[in-house]
Amino acid sequence: MKKKSIMLLLITLCAAGILWAQNAQDIVDRADHAFQGDRVYSTSSMTVYKSGEAQTVQEMESYSMEKNGKTYSLSVYLAPRRMKGTANLMIEDDLWVRFSSTGRIRKLSSSAKKNSAGGSDFSYADMGDGGQGLSEKYTPVLIGEETVEGEKCYKIELNAAVSDAPYDKMVVFITIDTYRYIKIDYYESGANIKSMIFSDYRTVDGKDYPFFYVMNNHTKPSRTEVSVDIFETDSSRVQDRFFTTGYLESIR
Amino acid sequence: MKNQKENFRERILGGWAVWSSQNWGKSFLLLLVITLAMGFGVSILKTEMTFYSILPNNSNQVRDMKMILEEFPAASSILAVVDARAVEDPAAAEEQVKRTIDAIVEKLSRRDYSEYVVRTTGKTDMDFFKAHGFMFSKEKDIERSSRLYSDLNLVPLLTRINEDFEREYAGDEDKLADEEQLAVGMFRGLSEVLGIMEKSAQGESVSSVELDKALDSWLFGESYLLSDDNKMGIAIIQPTFTMEDFLTMAPGVNTIESAVKELGLEMGVDVGLTGMVVVGRDEMVTSEQGIILSSFLALIAILLIMIFSFRMFSVPLISGIPLITGIFWTMGMSGFIIHRLNIMTAMYLVALMGLGIDFAIHLLTSFIQERDEGEEFTSAIRKAIMKSGSGILTGGLTTATAFFALIIADTEMIRELGFVAGMGIVCELIAMILFIPPLLGFRQYRKDKKGKDENRIFSTVKIKSDAASGIGKVLSKAPVLFSIIMLAIGIFFATRAPGVSLSTNLMEMEAEGLESILLQDTLVEEFGMAPDYLSVISMDIGEVRDLSDRLEDLSSVKMVDSLGPYYVSPSETESRGALIRQFAENLEKNRAYKNLDGEMLLQELYRLEMNLMEMGDMAYMGNMNKLLNTIGSITGFDNDGEKVAESSFDRLFSMLEEGNADSQSLIELQGTMVPALKNKLLTMASDEPVTLDILPSTLRDSYISKDGKKFLINVIPTQNPWEEDFRNIYSEQMKTITDKGTGMLLAGDQLSFMAEQDGVKAAVVALIVVFLILLLDFRNIKLVVLTMVSLLLSFLTLFGFMSLVGIKFDFINIIVVPLLIGIGVDDAVHINHRYLYEGKGRMGIVIGKTGTALMITSITTMVGFASFIPSVMRGMRSTGIVLSIAMVIAFSFSVLFHPGMLIIITEKLGLNIKPWGKK
Repeated sequence: MKKKSIMLLLITLCAAGILWAQNAQDIVDRADHAFQGDRVYSTSSMTVYKSGEAQTVQEMESYSMEKNGKTYSLSVYLAPRRMKGTANLMIEDDLWVRFSSTGRIRKLSSSAKKNSAGGSDFSYADMGDGGQGLSEKYTPVLIGEETVEGEKCYKIELNAAVSDAPYDKMVVFITIDTYRYIKIDYYESGANIKSMIFSDYRTVDGKDYPFFYVMNNHTKPSRTEVSVDIFETDSSRVQDRFFTTGYLESIR
Repeated sequence: MKNQKENFRERILGGWAVWSSQNWGKSFLLLLVITLAMGFGVSILKTEMTFYSILPNNSNQVRDMKMILEEFPAASSILAVVDARAVEDPAAAEEQVKRTIDAIVEKLSRRDYSEYVVRTTGKTDMDFFKAHGFMFSKEKDIERSSRLYSDLNLVPLLTRINEDFEREYAGDEDKLADEEQLAVGMFRGLSEVLGIMEKSAQGESVSSVELDKALDSWLFGESYLLSDDNKMGIAIIQPTFTMEDFLTMAPGVNTIESAVKELGLEMGVDVGLTGMVVVGRDEMVTSEQGIILSSFLALIAILLIMIFSFRMFSVPLISGIPLITGIFWTMGMSGFIIHRLNIMTAMYLVALMGLGIDFAIHLLTSFIQERDEGEEFTSAIRKAIMKSGSGILTGGLTTATAFFALIIADTEMIRELGFVAGMGIVCELIAMILFIPPLLGFRQYRKDKKGKDENRIFSTVKIKSDAASGIGKVLSKAPVLFSIIMLAIGIFFATRAPGVSLSTNLMEMEAEGLESILLQDTLVEEFGMAPDYLSVISMDIGEVRDLSDRLEDLSSVKMVDSLGPYYVSPSETESRGALIRQFAENLEKNRAYKNLDGEMLLQELYRLEMNLMEMGDMAYMGNMNKLLNTIGSITGFDNDGEKVAESSFDRLFSMLEEGNADSQSLIELQGTMVPALKNKLLTMASDEPVTLDILPSTLRDSYISKDGKKFLINVIPTQNPWEEDFRNIYSEQMKTITDKGTGMLLAGDQLSFMAEQDGVKAAVVALIVVFLILLLDFRNIKLVVLTMVSLLLSFLTLFGFMSLVGIKFDFINIIVVPLLIGIGVDDAVHINHRYLYEGKGRMGIVIGKTGTALMITSITTMVGFASFIPSVMRGMRSTGIVLSIAMVIAFSFSVLFHPGMLIIITEKLGLNIKPWGKK
């Protein structure tokens, strides 16, 4: 009898654990939905603050699409003048850079995706992995609820599920009522090294998208603010031909 | 009520007061015997006035920290920071910095400074690397060099350099950022090589010295330690002393400082010193600055208050002798039981003077009050001891027990503080009760013998012995009003109390504007160097390299300084040796061509310029200003990508495009450059095994212990690690690699732990113990709760005030917590005893009698602590402010809130506050 009770208790606990995990996956999937869009076009400006001092504002135009299960993205710098025409093309894990000063194109190794993009606190992976959602390479576990930036949120831990996940762990805060990402804490070697905070959510084509986000770096005296000016999904401005090295060569 | 029967305690106290005042000679003899016995304890007492004395002895990290300081000579290095930012021209500034560094090295290497300086280093020892460079390179780097230098003639060399740039750095900002310093050195070398090519293309001859310098710059980079804009530089001075050598530290640092500052004046640049020993010297100096005069004035003020309050010129002696003796006894007891005083307990002995003098004030106030009421000497002294003795005993023992409760703490420092502080109170209490009656007796004997009356000055400037009776009268008339006002104040500040925080940045306690501290920030901003870091000691050189590689990958780590890159294992010696021999063999085949393809040279120069421009773009995006400026000076492009100056590239392009280049001269340059570069590379390509014994002494002193068995790894963080949030990330990440990290930062964490965790725990236990003692003494729960409420309100008001004005707790001013428990309880206990003695309706008299003593004790303590406020050291200043405010708060709640509540409870509500069983 006693054994039966223990078994029942264990089964109940396991079932609760599975439901809990499933629930976490659902929440993350719903939050990711805003970041998953075919043919997304956006323009944004990025300001890096080093020791509180604003550096030159970088403006860029970004295109992304999903095709045949592959994610494509292209960012072209519009400003500052020195960088105008410099572009990053990412197809899955492959990354190419076109330098406007020389017009030459360089292919980067896949490990470079972890590197800082444009001297900012974002890595190329942080900026370009949007197509498949933030949690693609992680296993979510709901660990509680917390109020962040005045919003009641689910607190979900995302543990790396694949070896090439950029971070060991992420802790995401998703609003309970609207399923919006409010904050993401990035963990590396047991410590929270960066935090991204999303705000200014606007509804575009039925999806809530943040028009302002800040990445606070906790290991360097630095933070990066991104302000989105235009955001279009299923945009006619996004064309297949943009995602080739040939197109990179034609950028002026 | 007043004629109640004397209890046992009062009979004993009264008996001693009468006997000792009449038999003062015998009493002094008895006290002398006790003091001599305590002298033995003092003789075996060790005083450890070092920072380590407050850290836990049994911790491996503290042991390692001591070991680093004692066994690794370079750990105490002083940094001389040369600053030529005032010089506008970058090249002139750099030149001035380098000349000043050379001059510092030359001056401090003279015999005159050998007492304080072991060695001064201005630049990296390149000779060693010139001889063994390739053996320290990883296999892939040797292979890379083999490719790069497979043909040393101009065009093939430039082709390989271009291929190498395109392979190594293309688009990889992080790699470029990691190796920015190295890349800058290389590009400056490249710039010199281009300059030589330009000169040669113009038909000018190039001297072997110019060529040699350019090739050295290209191969080895910058040997001076310069800032990002090259306008600042550092010379590293290894002193003969460490932080532990208190006597040598100040004169040593002063001598070095005046020598380098003098040189700075001569060279037209600023030179300042920093490093832990310099900060240590500054602490010693600034801890005294600003408070010598204020302490002297405070002492005079306290003495005057006491002399006029008690109308005795001899009061400094009557209270001072037992005060000093009490401290001596405390040291004796500490010697017998814990055998040592640390820097914190020694500091407490100074605070004990403030607490001890309070006992004397209570006894003397009571004595004067009895005399003023017309009692003759013996009766006055008996009544004084009886009336105030009980309060003093209970108050003193309560405070002592509160301190003794700290013995339950986890940290040794808090336990020792608990013992010394508790014992200090007991010794002071006993010394006052034993000494004051015979001293007063001796004074009376002398007065009687000389037949002198009270000095006339005391009739002119008369402080009444019941000076506080005015407060008592007003309070008795409106107890409810006073209680409500004080309660409202308490509640107001209580709402702010949760905002009080603890400072964990030890540097915030130092004096403001201190050069050694300011320079630490400069090191972060201009050199990207952190002022402090964690270190690891390893017994295995193989482990050193493994740990160094893993630690370097952490995002909170900027770089790792260790012997890791200089350790070559036997198997590596073999594999590297084989590659080096192959490389050398190929090098030997290198011969200068007798011709040069101008068109190919032009193409490779175009390509090189493009590579540099792309790297400039990456440096721009990555905010690598030093690299950006260096590349800009080679290409002639400014930071916005605009062409602003003609470069060597432009002039070479023009000459080669127009066919004006002197081909013969370029071929001659090739003819001299090929063998010169070949010789340098062949020297570097020694396959001789490198052992730790042949490393330069600067490296050995930095990373190998004196006994040669231990190795040091310094883990340099990306930010100032004194910032708490970052420190947590840094230490958390380090723990995933090793648990052996140690350093001064650890001391900060340890002190925070003591203050935050152990201190709070000990304070809670102390409050519980105080509650129990009060319960034993008063045997009435209502009275005890009321006494504790007054104390609680004092605490909340203090915390709320600190939060409101932004004063943080630190490991010095946190001493206010036990002091406030002691003093806050003491004051209320005195009022309770007197009120129980005087009875209902006599609160005016209670305040008049007891309140005067409380006022004098509060004023003297406050004046004493306030003398810290002018200190330039922020830690001392905040301690002065916090303790002075705490005294005002404790006095206000004891005299304005607690008595009012006593009246409300007993006289308005009719509740009984007498001990159980008494009506």
